[in-house]
Amino acid sequence: MTLPDRSSLSRRDYLRALVAVGGATALSACVSESDDVDVPTGTDDPDSLPARQHAWNDALSRDDHGNVQPPEHHVLVALSLIDEPSDDGRERVEDALEILERAYEWSNEGLVFTLGYTPAYFDRFDDSLPETVDLPEPEPLTDREDPTFDEFDAVLHLASDRSQVVLEAEAGLFGEADELNGVDVETGLTGVFERVEDQRRTGFVGEGLPAEHTELSGVPDSIPDEAPFFMGFRSGFDRSQATEDRVTIEDGPFGGGTTQQISSMDLQLRIWFEQDNHYQRVTKMFSPEHADEELVGDIGEALTSTNALTDERIESTQDDARTRGVVGHAQKAARARVDGEPPLLRRDFNTVDGESPGLHFLSLQEDIEAFVRVREAMTGDDLGVANANNGIRSYIFVTQRGNYLIPPRSLRALPPANPTGDDSSEET
Amino acid sequence: MQDHDFDRRTFVRRTGAVTGLLALAGCLGTDDDDDNDDTTEETDDDLEAPAFPEVEDPPDAVYVPTHRESMRMLEPVEAGDYTIAPMLSYPHPFWILTGGAGGEGEIERNDPEQMDGVHMMFTLWDDDTGVVLPVDSGNAIRVFRDGEQVGSPRSAWTMISQAMGFHFGDNVPLDDHGTYTVEVELPPLSTRTTGQLEGRFTERATATFEFDYDEAFWDHVVGEVEYLDEEYWGQRGALEPMDHGGHGDHGDQQEHDDDDHDHDGHDDHDGHDDHDHGDHDDGRDDHHNHDDIPYSALPAADAYPGTLLEPIDDPDTDLPRSGDAAFLATLFDSGSRLVEGDDRYLLVSPRTPYNRVPLADMALSATIERDGETVADTELVQTIDGEYDLHYGASLGDVQPGDAVTITIESPPQVARHQGYETAFLEMPPIELTVPEG
Ligand code: HEM
Repeated sequence: MTLPDRSSLSRRDYLRALVAVGGATALSACVSESDDVDVPTGTDDPDSLPARQHAWNDALSRDDHGNVQPPEHHVLVALSLIDEPSDDGRERVEDALEILERAYEWSNEGLVFTLGYTPAYFDRFDDSLPETVDLPEPEPLTDREDPTFDEFDAVLHLASDRSQVVLEAEAGLFGEADELNGVDVETGLTGVFERVEDQRRTGFVGEGLPAEHTELSGVPDSIPDEAPFFMGFRSGFDRSQATEDRVTIEDGPFGGGTTQQISSMDLQLRIWFEQDNHYQRVTKMFSPEHADEELVGDIGEALTSTNALTDERIESTQDDARTRGVVGHAQKAARARVDGEPPLLRRDFNTVDGESPGLHFLSLQEDIEAFVRVREAMTGDDLGVANANNGIRSYIFVTQRGNYLIPPRSLRALPPANPTGDDSSEET
Repeated sequence: MQDHDFDRRTFVRRTGAVTGLLALAGCLGTDDDDDNDDTTEETDDDLEAPAFPEVEDPPDAVYVPTHRESMRMLEPVEAGDYTIAPMLSYPHPFWILTGGAGGEGEIERNDPEQMDGVHMMFTLWDDDTGVVLPVDSGNAIRVFRDGEQVGSPRSAWTMISQAMGFHFGDNVPLDDHGTYTVEVELPPLSTRTTGQLEGRFTERATATFEFDYDEAFWDHVVGEVEYLDEEYWGQRGALEPMDHGGHGDHGDQQEHDDDDHDHDGHDDHDGHDDHDHGDHDDGRDDHHNHDDIPYSALPAADAYPGTLLEPIDDPDTDLPRSGDAAFLATLFDSGSRLVEGDDRYLLVSPRTPYNRVPLADMALSATIERDGETVADTELVQTIDGEYDLHYGASLGDVQPGDAVTITIESPPQVARHQGYETAFLEMPPIELTVPEG
């Protein structure tokens, strides 16, 4: 891999580019770029950390309105098992992950991460997953897509505000760094997992980051400077996100875990920013009433901790389809709320993997079925509205889908399909 | 790139292309300015955008645009049940609907973000019936050069133009000359299909074509833009469909009549019925399959069976209009193939005046009243039929002679427009009809 050209990029952009490249050379370039930063260290007491791998929210910072601020830099490391899972392998994985926890504080400034497993991983066991876990193979979810599927075994999601940290953590796990933030790397994942290089995915989220990519032909200059996401608006308002409790599997051996869905998509930003105007963008992203009543502001700053989708605005989706000929993305997706509560915890981030703008849409939910239901509401085939006016669907092109189980921390290292072996679904 | 003060003579001299080939649908005569018979070779190799003069204060109706765009047609490609004809022109403005609550702000002119590139278009049809499919379930276009993807995937807009009828299109920026490969991915059709089209278009299909983007292309498409005589600009009327043998050799071409109301004869203008395109050997078209590409004209009013509903106010056009769209509404006899059991089928077919281009992606509903009481109130479902083409329909159990039928346009056609269509089909008041006695 060749390193990005330092002279042609802003510092922030250079660091982002290094994350995308990865590996030891990128890391050393990154370290020399950020040598003065002091990364908070983690804990020697693993039990002090939450029992759920996905318990990030309490550790992450919040903005002025109380919305969780996702870490800026993300890497999804795709992993393939070298040998069949064994107790020895389990121990190594657990030790390796505990090293990360010792090295970095569980926070934006430090590192948060999850390790999730695909249906393909669990296929190798005689037992099937307990009934309390809904983890089907990924499949196309709309008529318009022909995605590839995540068929490797696992994905490690690393996230930090420091690009150096995500790079270093990955390097440490794969024998490319001896020391992580002052902690010796005694064990890594090497020997248990190998990386699926062409499936490594990276990304970023945060105000101003998307606008740093206008050198790409797919990212127009007209993207708002402050936008945290490529499509120009804030997202992930507190009130439109599921709580971690809500997405947590309650019962069974994987109680305390969750399911994760990752879909990767290309984005068409030139039409979005050059042909549609702000009024249209607000209409298609939120709802026609958001546009008429100017509820959103330039990039969503006029919204505080909610996306302003009242029950009435959600219920009027069908009506807007008929009388306005257009519906909003958030409006129609919110039709899938259950008793007024959003079922998904979205942790999506922007990407320029492949040198063109995209989104890795990552969401957590209690079961994959919940994602499928929300995605159907978001697709809105039932609305009878012209494709170009059906929210943002004519701007997004799904290329890849994967489903994962994120076990509770206690089972994060190579879990068997049925850890307690006493579930009714077991066929022994 | 706008040029309001454009001097037609200068332009003609520069391109040397306009030689009395213009023909207008309906009522306008041809442009007989043929002071320049040169060939179309354009030697000036600057990438100069053709002028795009606009009409000042056009009517809120279909009007004659300032010019006819030229284009290159590529070989039609078959993909699954679909047949697709790609066409290329130079990037130019068009209008898209903004989703506003109504009125003028509802549509906005959209200028190309850069002139380097093409206006890419395609027509999609069913080769068995010749029916052009005027709806989009989510097309995806990917452009490649030397195996590398150029730009992000895109969904082309659905559009209507007078010369081309319904088509898909967009301005696609291209930074370099070269050979481009285009992949068009077509999802299954989500619109209701009936008759010969029932059960078709249920599979996704991908069509691939190639084109050269170079100076010769540019010269070709720019060199053949035809500007109309300024006196016609903005008058009510429309350009002749381009596949319709309308390049000056049209026998029944009528003289322009300044009376705005005298258009009715032209809705019945024959010729469009069977999707045949006449022949034209004017030597301008350096492509082969031009004649195979259907123009999206709906059948003429008399091709529909059943009882034609009558407008309450006698209109001065043969079909009632709303927002200048002509509405054909007919009640099929009971037990037709479009209903279950003995119901009657109400078929409403809105179309552009003059060229009978289908108006897709509207939301329509019908209310039936008898002696002041509402007896039925129903949404009309967008449908594409192998024989009657695009229409909006509903099955009615109880409808009688003398009943009042109101067709409400809940939202206008959500399709982008080329010049001459952007001021029509926006504000659309209800259409009041009755079921004729006996
Ligand atoms: C480029 C792609 C996408 C962008 C830019 C985007 C952006 C947004 C924005 C701005 C909001 C409103 C703000 C908020 O509620 O936090 C929103 C809401 C939402 N989006 Fe997306 N989104 C994208 C893709 C998706 C996908 C693939 C799904 C999958 C189902 C999805 C599901 C949702 C849901 C469930 C909501 C919240 C609805 C509620 O309030 O209940 N989004 N999105």
